[in-house]
Amino acid sequence: MTSPNHEFVKANLNLYAVLQNLEDLVEKDSDSATFTKNWKETIQFSVMGGPEAYVSFNNGVCKAGRGRAGKATIKLYFLSPAHLNKMFDNKGAPIPLKGFTKLPFLATKFSKLTKRLEYFLKPTDVLLADPNYRALNTLFTLNTAVFAAAELSSHEDFSKASVAGLKKGEVLMKVLPEGPCAHISFDNGAISAQKGDSKEATAFMYMRNVDVANAFLNQKTDAFSAIAKGDVAIWGQMPFLDALSRVLDRIPLYLT
Amino acid sequence: MLKTYSYEQSQALFDRAAKVIPCGIYGHMSPAPLIPPSDYPFYAQSGAGSRFTDVDGNEFIDYMCAYGPMVLGYNHPKVEDAAKKQRKLGNCITAPGPVMVELAEKLTDLVTGADWAFFAKNGGDTTTYAVMIARAATGRKKVVAIKGGYHGVAPWTQGYGHHGVIHEDADNILRIPWNDVAAFEKVIAENPDNVAAFMATPYHHPTFADNEMPADGYWARIEALCRKKGIVLIVDDIRCGFRLDVHGSHAYFGFKPDLVCFCKAIGNGYPISALVGTEALKNDAARVFYTGSYWFSAVPMAAALACITELERINGPKIMLEWGQKLLDGMVEIAKSHGYDLRVSGAPSMPYLRLTDDPSLVLMQKWCGECTRRGAYFTSHHNWFVSTAHNDDDMQKTFDIVDDAFRAVKQGGI
Repeated sequence: MTSPNHEFVKANLNLYAVLQNLEDLVEKDSDSATFTKNWKETIQFSVMGGPEAYVSFNNGVCKAGRGRAGKATIKLYFLSPAHLNKMFDNKGAPIPLKGFTKLPFLATKFSKLTKRLEYFLKPTDVLLADPNYRALNTLFTLNTAVFAAAELSSHEDFSKASVAGLKKGEVLMKVLPEGPCAHISFDNGAISAQKGDSKEATAFMYMRNVDVANAFLNQKTDAFSAIAKGDVAIWGQMPFLDALSRVLDRIPLYLT
Repeated sequence: MLKTYSYEQSQALFDRAAKVIPCGIYGHMSPAPLIPPSDYPFYAQSGAGSRFTDVDGNEFIDYMCAYGPMVLGYNHPKVEDAAKKQRKLGNCITAPGPVMVELAEKLTDLVTGADWAFFAKNGGDTTTYAVMIARAATGRKKVVAIKGGYHGVAPWTQGYGHHGVIHEDADNILRIPWNDVAAFEKVIAENPDNVAAFMATPYHHPTFADNEMPADGYWARIEALCRKKGIVLIVDDIRCGFRLDVHGSHAYFGFKPDLVCFCKAIGNGYPISALVGTEALKNDAARVFYTGSYWFSAVPMAAALACITELERINGPKIMLEWGQKLLDGMVEIAKSHGYDLRVSGAPSMPYLRLTDDPSLVLMQKWCGECTRRGAYFTSHHNWFVSTAHNDDDMQKTFDIVDDAFRAVKQGGI
């Protein structure tokens, strides 16, 4: 059961949950870091009747943001959310509005980077056997999950209904002992996600280690069993975790 | 410091369970809301009186009472004898036993305003049946219920946003805040001649939140509106029933519902629920086809007859309310001696507790866990239950555990 506005929701997930992973890819993956270290480009994505986002590269640092960038060097336009989603599924091309001379950059360099991201976001058992790959896949999956959850909670009927009773609170998801963490905030209908730790959290989900987190986030383990066995520890305001778990379960309907 | 428990056998059994049972343990007895699960037993070996023993041999004073069904104590001799006698005669037979009639007569004698009784297995059977009767009687669709109120697990009770529930399942359930008569008036006005029923628990006992008694005049005004608008007034007395008043919680609060749903306490653990109603709805109840494979089984009926007879004889609700009050007063004092404010809400026979200045509930969760692994089974998310089997020895031991657990929580750096 997907949402009637499936393409719109998926477009939001692609721009706000998937694209932000480029920040960490450039920082944490040495191949990507080397590849992008001299880039100075800002790519704007605009969807008619849909979301807007940008990704900028500057001296080896990547920044992904919502809305419009101040000075985009490349502007890509999409006629609909479905149009954008086709591009993310490698089945369609955008309409360039600015940066015609940089089309080769898009077609070769940027495309190579996004393929690298796809490589880390679509694990196989063989790839996951590599600890470095597993760590990065865990990071990207965690961040994708919290940003996707925020979008779903804001825009998707089922998810909106799931979180409808929640007032103010914050859920922190953390991989122990010192793994990545991210949090999602609820404030009377305003929902947002952030990377990193939080001092304001009112509900907590601690995953025992990277291996547990990877299996859990990739939905390879039964969540209830993981909790009962102590592999995943939950504390605090349970209604937030309960509702959030129902939202997280929706992600595969949009991102596979 | 008191000895703390460990749960190797529970964990081992759960590992086996998780391979062959969805969630390992599903529903309200899932370990998931028991925080941290490592402080809790997952499987019980036996129960007697107010206590149960888990598969690791640890004994607990039980403040959940099987989430309510245990009201006279586990293995109560009068209930067990009645069940045993009936089992010798027969249980599930092609025709119901006379005990069904006797139980119906007992309930209609005991419950204020009840003219008939109908038996099923779970509380949710009766809430769904009650709604069907209300719709059949009124020819209307909508049911008004309370936000955060729990009436079972049927799709219409859960609401959209839960797995397996579609919009249409819940579209005709209108949720309003507790103690808000104006909201009821508004929803009636917005759905003219289309509200079949108002359903609520006698007082509001949601999970994760303070329980709330009805405001002065609340039930009288709700009842008056129902009468005026031809709306069926349904009380879900599944949790409170026989823990406030043997004549029904509506007798305790002084109002007259059309239908009352009972379960938990009437069978002292035997699987049976009951819907009772007024003469005016008897024909409508007869028209609604509603049944199940084991709904006529005689053993639970015999157990229920013995259970409510005993509850009436000893005035069980009075015992539970008074004992619960003494227990809770003592616990509040112990908490205060450690610098904590333990807030109690709801009836003393099924109280909800929380520590104030604990917005995330983590402190409460840690304290309940520490109490449990010392032998007083406390949950942090749900109202508790006491029984007529709880005694002064339990109370003193509980006080010792509470005291020790607060010390442990403090030493844990909370």
